Amino acid sequence: MLTIEDIKTLIKELDSSSLSELKLEAEDGKITLRKADAFAGKVKTIVEAAPQTTAVQAPSAQLEPQSNTSAEPAAAEANTDADPSLHKITAPMVGTFYSSSSPDADAFVSKGSKVDKKSVVCIVEAMKLFNEIEADCKGTIVDVLVEDGQLVEYGQPLFLVKED
Amino acid sequence: MVQRVEHSTKGAILKLLYTHNDQFLSGQWISEHIGCSRTAVWKHIQSLIAEGYQISSVQKKGYKLIDAPMGLSEAAVSAHLTTKVIGRHICFYDAIGSTQKEALRLADEGAEHGTVVLTNEQTSGRGRLGHTWQSQRGTNIALSLILRPELPIDQTPQLTLLTAVAAAETIEKQAGLSCGIKWPNDLLFEGKKLVGILTELMAEATYVKAVVIGIGFNVNTTAFPDPIKSEAASLASLTGKQFALAPIVQQFFASFETLYQLYLSEGFKKIRPLWEKRALNLGKQIKVRQPGGRVLIGTALGINDDGVLRLKKTDGTIANVYSADVEWD
Repeated sequence: MLTIEDIKTLIKELDSSSLSELKLEAEDGKITLRKADAFAGKVKTIVEAAPQTTAVQAPSAQLEPQSNTSAEPAAAEANTDADPSLHKITAPMVGTFYSSSSPDADAFVSKGSKVDKKSVVCIVEAMKLFNEIEADCKGTIVDVLVEDGQLVEYGQPLFLVKED
Repeated sequence: MVQRVEHSTKGAILKLLYTHNDQFLSGQWISEHIGCSRTAVWKHIQSLIAEGYQISSVQKKGYKLIDAPMGLSEAAVSAHLTTKVIGRHICFYDAIGSTQKEALRLADEGAEHGTVVLTNEQTSGRGRLGHTWQSQRGTNIALSLILRPELPIDQTPQLTLLTAVAAAETIEKQAGLSCGIKWPNDLLFEGKKLVGILTELMAEATYVKAVVIGIGFNVNTTAFPDPIKSEAASLASLTGKQFALAPIVQQFFASFETLYQLYLSEGFKKIRPLWEKRALNLGKQIKVRQPGGRVLIGTALGINDDGVLRLKKTDGTIANVYSADVEWD
């Protein structure tokens, strides 16, 4: 059985690792720890069916969600799950999401923008390598799931596209 | 196909003069070597002299290159090149808007691995997120290198750190200055920036089409304008000497090629100690300014085997930093 101290240790370990999520299952229950950065600024500590444990707050200051964004990712997640027919443009690497080519330029795309395969939709940057992400499909952007300047994880959905 | 700008008879003669700049070459020998008439050789030599090349011409001995005008040429760089791949195809422009933009265009058209776009003057150099890089005609180096690495996308950012190591080695060997690297790829000497690097990835889904590395060396600029005076330096401003540009370019190609081969065969773990050896502020307190306004303060522990910056925060936990500007007091 996991003690609170065990869970605290796990959170610390997860925090300093490159993992974004940790799931543990035992006879007496299961626990899921997910980093804030791993999903659009949302801190999640889910403890399921384990009467011995209580929910623990993620300890790191870095992982605190920005208050104005915390509600949106949940909606995005629901949206993603709700309509599997939408094409997801995902992050090909860990890095920072930029919606425009420079701070004073317009966003590459926004909700309602028409895109085709070669349309640049955003930039993901890591270690000063800039990766222009192309839509890779033809259609209309129906949702932008992340904000300019946000850290994104490998495989994280960035945009939802309704394909033509 | 790739456009070869200075790929002409004149360029070929110039390259021969550079390659054999320790001896006289007869007009006859040059004309046979290149496959043109002796009159054509004479005409091109006159044209080179008009462009500012000092070519000694001695009866019965031939021609010898004494000095060249300020700046670079394809011939000057390719004549004594020691690399196998990097810089073996040079697209040289006396002036161009941006080497990076041209290299991205050439990469899209299928330019081969190791192709370099090189210029004497960038009229609208591109920097990261709108920052611009100064490059006056013939005083500094601006080039963009096209790579076709067979790497997973998530490893390509490591190339920025590798490039910084290659640039630091270049400056050490050519100017005797030991630069520090600020994570991930800024080269500083006594707090002033000497080299700017901009790396862009062209990818399709999970497949890397090309990586284009733009690099600018501040070489012979002696006076920087006011806003950047406190932040920028050149080899000339630091040493009081002027430098020939071609040997620096050649050294960079050689250093890069060696490190790149090591990286492909052994992985980033072999590049890591070379980077950390030159890293600034390891073990010291730094401020990590992340996009979106987040700031982390802590001790720089180094990088991991992926090139990610490891920061020990004030609460004792360790953060992996993928994307940030590093600052310190």
